[in-house]
Formats: sequence, C-alpha cells, structure tokens
Amino acid sequence: MSIDERRALQQHQVTLLELVDRVLNGGVVLSGDITLSVADVDLVYLGLRVLLSSVATLEQQRDLALESVLR
Amino acid sequence: MIHVYGIVEQLDSLPPLAGVDDAPLERRRVDGLELVVSRLPGPVSNEIPREAVLRHAEVVEALMSRSSAVLPAQFGREFGDDDELTTVVRTKSGELERGLSRVRGCVEFGVRALGDAERAQADDKRSVSSGREYMQGRLAEARQRERLVAEVHEPLARLARADVQRAPTSRSGFTGAYLVPAESVTAFREGVMRVESVCPELTIVCTGPWPPYSFAGDREDQA
Repeated sequence: MSIDERRALQQHQVTLLELVDRVLNGGVVLSGDITLSVADVDLVYLGLRVLLSSVATLEQQRDLALESVLR
Repeated sequence: MIHVYGIVEQLDSLPPLAGVDDAPLERRRVDGLELVVSRLPGPVSNEIPREAVLRHAEVVEALMSRSSAVLPAQFGREFGDDDELTTVVRTKSGELERGLSRVRGCVEFGVRALGDAERAQADDKRSVSSGREYMQGRLAEARQRERLVAEVHEPLARLARADVQRAPTSRSGFTGAYLVPAESVTAFREGVMRVESVCPELTIVCTGPWPPYSFAGDREDQA
C-alpha cells in the first residue's frame, strides 16, 4: 500500500468514525426510551468495530472505490 | 415501531431511498412540525446495527439537500406508535422549533486535534515508573489541551455560528464541532488550513460538511 493509499484509507476511516459518532451520540433526543444503549460506549472503539465489519458493504452501497485501496 | 430520521422544514419531496431495514420513508405532520419516519416491524436489533446506522445517516443527508432545515433525530430511540410520537413531539415542540431556527442554512464541521505530547505518548506506551512522573504526565496533558483550545478551537469558533467542544477521546486531544452557515463554508475551511499552517506540529483532522447532529438538541454545552 502506498502512502497516498494509506492516507486515503485513513481519511475514510476517520470520516466513518465521525459519522457513527454523530448518528449515535448526536441528534435531538425525542423519546426517553433508549432501545440501544450506546451512550457510554467509547465510540472510537465502537466506530472501529462498525468500520471493520462494514467496509465490504460500503463498497457495494456507496461506491467509495475502496476496493483498490484495500488490495 | 416508528423510527424517526429527523424533523424537517420545507421538505420538497422524500428522497428515493429505502430507510432502516429497507422500510419505506414516510412523512408525518404533528401540528406545525414535519417528521420523516419509517415504520419497522420491531425494534432495531440490539446488536450494533451498522447497516441501520449507515442507512439512517444516508437518509438524513438526503433530507438536507431537499429541505430548508433538518434536525437529525438521535438513532436508537424508537416509538411504539403514532400516538406516542405525537405526544412527545408536542411536548418538545418548543425545543424542536428552536433547534430548526438554530441550524437553518447551516452545516456542521468536526475537528479533531492531536498534539505532539499525545502522539509521543501513543508511540510510547511504557508504564510510568513513579507517582511524580504520572503527575507530570497529567500536567503536560492538561497544558496541551489548553493549548489546543486556544490555538485550534478559538479561531475556528469565531468563524462558526455555534460551537461545542465534544468529550475528548483522550485526555490531551481535542474534539470540536462547529455550526457553519453555508455561505461561510469556504471561510471555515480556510480557517482550518490557517490553523494547520500556524501549528504544523499538530495533527488536525477536519470532517464535514455534516448534517447538524451536534447542534440538534437543547443542551447546556451547546451554544
């Protein structure tokens, strides 16, 4: 993997992590009932877990051209 | 169960997307407020529902380009039925209207900054040998953080309509979110580049534009 490829992958990972952090921790709280207890989870860790298992799906769904980076 | 993506203002039409668990998107009006929701057969599973999280994010993003304002709803809080949803939205209508005015015409940027001290620490994970060393370490972290706030956060906050310092993922790092009017996006990006060039020893990661997730609710720490 070249430095540029690694950087692109890293940038993508950070972006995904930020996204998951926002969706789970941000947003206006409408209901008092939480069906998913994520409030106190370390989201960096959580984000990475999501990341590691979803890269393949993301490729298909969002055409992020990750495939070439991962090879 | 009803899953809420967000509260929208002047949504022209629903985006041609399937929602969480492939459920269709629907519009709901409660008094003067409009919501975009999906009806789900059951709660989103207790496992970390990565597909659902990404789908939720995708829908919110699509709503951003079709509305004058979007207040994203926090993921993972479903309603039993329409009555329950209506009651809660009525109870919170003041907060929701304030939220819509706050975020109208704005996007969010996220900034993470990491200083030398922290990078060195991450590279060097050996245990500290004495209490004194530990205290010195903590002091250095606190100083580093103060510095990041002064050199990174403050200049960027001046370019934003609102800002929030988010819980740091480590003691000496810094994480901020900034609510930036659409017309100031270029100025904000230039601001980030300026900070980078003034502080080349810092690692700065800027992401966005995002929907205003960090500015959607009334919270003490939000401007």
